[in-house]
Amino acid sequence: MNRILVVAEKEIRQLVKSRNIMLSAILFIVVFGIFTGPAALSGADSPEQVMDTLGFYLVLTLGIFMAYLFTAQVFLREKQEGVVETLLCAPLSLRDLWLGKVLGVTIPASILTYFSAVLIIIAGGVFTGYTLVPSAPVLFHIIVVIPLFIAAAAGLLGFVQLILGMRENQILNFVIIFGIIFLISFTRALIGPAFSVTWAVVGAAFGLAVAILLLTAYLTRFLSRERIVITLPD
Amino acid sequence: MQTDEPVIKVTSLGKDFPGRKVLDDLTFSVEKGEVFGFLGPNGAGKTTTMRILLGLLLPTTGSATVLGSDLSINDEARKRVGVLMENNGLYDRLTARENLTYYARLYDVARPAERVAELLDFVGLTDRGDDLVGKYSTGMKRKLGIARAILHEPEIVFLDEPTSGLDPEAQHRVRELILGLSQEGSMTVFLNSHNLDEVQRICSRVAILHQGRIRALDSVRHLTAAGKKTGFSVTLADPSQAGEAGRILSSIEGIEDLSGKGSILQMGLSAVSSHDVIAALVTGGILVEEARIQRRSLEDIYLDVMRQAGGGEV
Repeated sequence: MNRILVVAEKEIRQLVKSRNIMLSAILFIVVFGIFTGPAALSGADSPEQVMDTLGFYLVLTLGIFMAYLFTAQVFLREKQEGVVETLLCAPLSLRDLWLGKVLGVTIPASILTYFSAVLIIIAGGVFTGYTLVPSAPVLFHIIVVIPLFIAAAAGLLGFVQLILGMRENQILNFVIIFGIIFLISFTRALIGPAFSVTWAVVGAAFGLAVAILLLTAYLTRFLSRERIVITLPD
Repeated sequence: MQTDEPVIKVTSLGKDFPGRKVLDDLTFSVEKGEVFGFLGPNGAGKTTTMRILLGLLLPTTGSATVLGSDLSINDEARKRVGVLMENNGLYDRLTARENLTYYARLYDVARPAERVAELLDFVGLTDRGDDLVGKYSTGMKRKLGIARAILHEPEIVFLDEPTSGLDPEAQHRVRELILGLSQEGSMTVFLNSHNLDEVQRICSRVAILHQGRIRALDSVRHLTAAGKKTGFSVTLADPSQAGEAGRILSSIEGIEDLSGKGSILQMGLSAVSSHDVIAALVTGGILVEEARIQRRSLEDIYLDVMRQAGGGEV
């Protein structure tokens, strides 16, 4: 079996067994999936347009949150506990290790994010009384673009967590948490009622996700075992 | 790799971190099948040396090769090396079997399930193989860590404080495991330890490190035999002969630091053999009940080296 897949499989197995983390993820999805949708749909915009906007930014934000939550388990926790030092002695290149971990985060985070999208659609339907199906660009965005964003976020965060010390990582965590709360709370107001999700918007999002992912993959060239080891906690 | 090439070759190795020199001009080699002890106080540079050998840190000066390769640039060569760091490298949320299977796959072990079962049996953890490692005791984790380190049958294994945190019985079992690896499997063992008694029992050669420099490097037998005089004690059958025995011993050249307490006389032998001393006493009519050579322990050597080098915490 390819070593990247071996690492990915181990990460998924470990995440699924982490009850507290899975519980936090599901709780987050349920709370935001059930309550944010109906709240937004109570506004003046047409329900279809609101559903598209939610499908675009809320599901994306939840996906990035899943990536953040799981990345901390997969990259940072391994560093905190010192296990990564043993792993660095294995016959595995740093890029393969990084890629395996990114894959191990992306698969469960995407599944949970799909679940959150379904919840938002169901909750919106129940609240408005009729079936709300996102438009084709939004469906493409949810099915294809968001997993790419999850991979990009996991890749970038994982890379940063590997090269930073524990204190810097703590600061980074605070910034990310507040950023996500900000995104969930204010994005809709910032983008305004005139915003509509078109193929051009989804295409731009797709391009951005691919660019971040490629950039981070390129940056892994600069990862070194020494950098990881000297930033391990004492 | 040629058979006569050392398994580990370190040449003029130096390592600087910002504002401090951690290693200074280290040169040593380790031959195939040796159990090599690497000793030193905290902060001496033991872990840094081990990390450089494992390719986790890059040397500032000099070079370090393991099995003829620089592990920092040769991922495939890592397959021939086993490692047990202070942290066992185990995942608490996976079972022992899952942990070993993960590493078996990473190291391309043939028939991983069979090999994992064999190693669980080897370290006596077959019955607990499907328990989460998070529920294991420190000793069980350490044994599982050793199993993980030798899972892929490496040619050399690096062990960092393998018995630390273990109770005496578990320490004994781990020491037997290590000796077994070296004797039966002809595996080379690089042992990083604070435990001098352990090193003396299982290592064939040692290096003593202090403030980033090697202060002693030799076989345990040579280190404990060389240098200072051999300690020697004589127990007399009749304590009233102590004065006469003292006079005889004082007249023998090569006896130093003679002292006595009751029927026991203690001395250091520098230029005279224990046989000659006993012969002189018996010829002088002294009844000797027991005579004992007091060999210097590795701990004595270590403390001497530390004193000469300017102190340090053991």
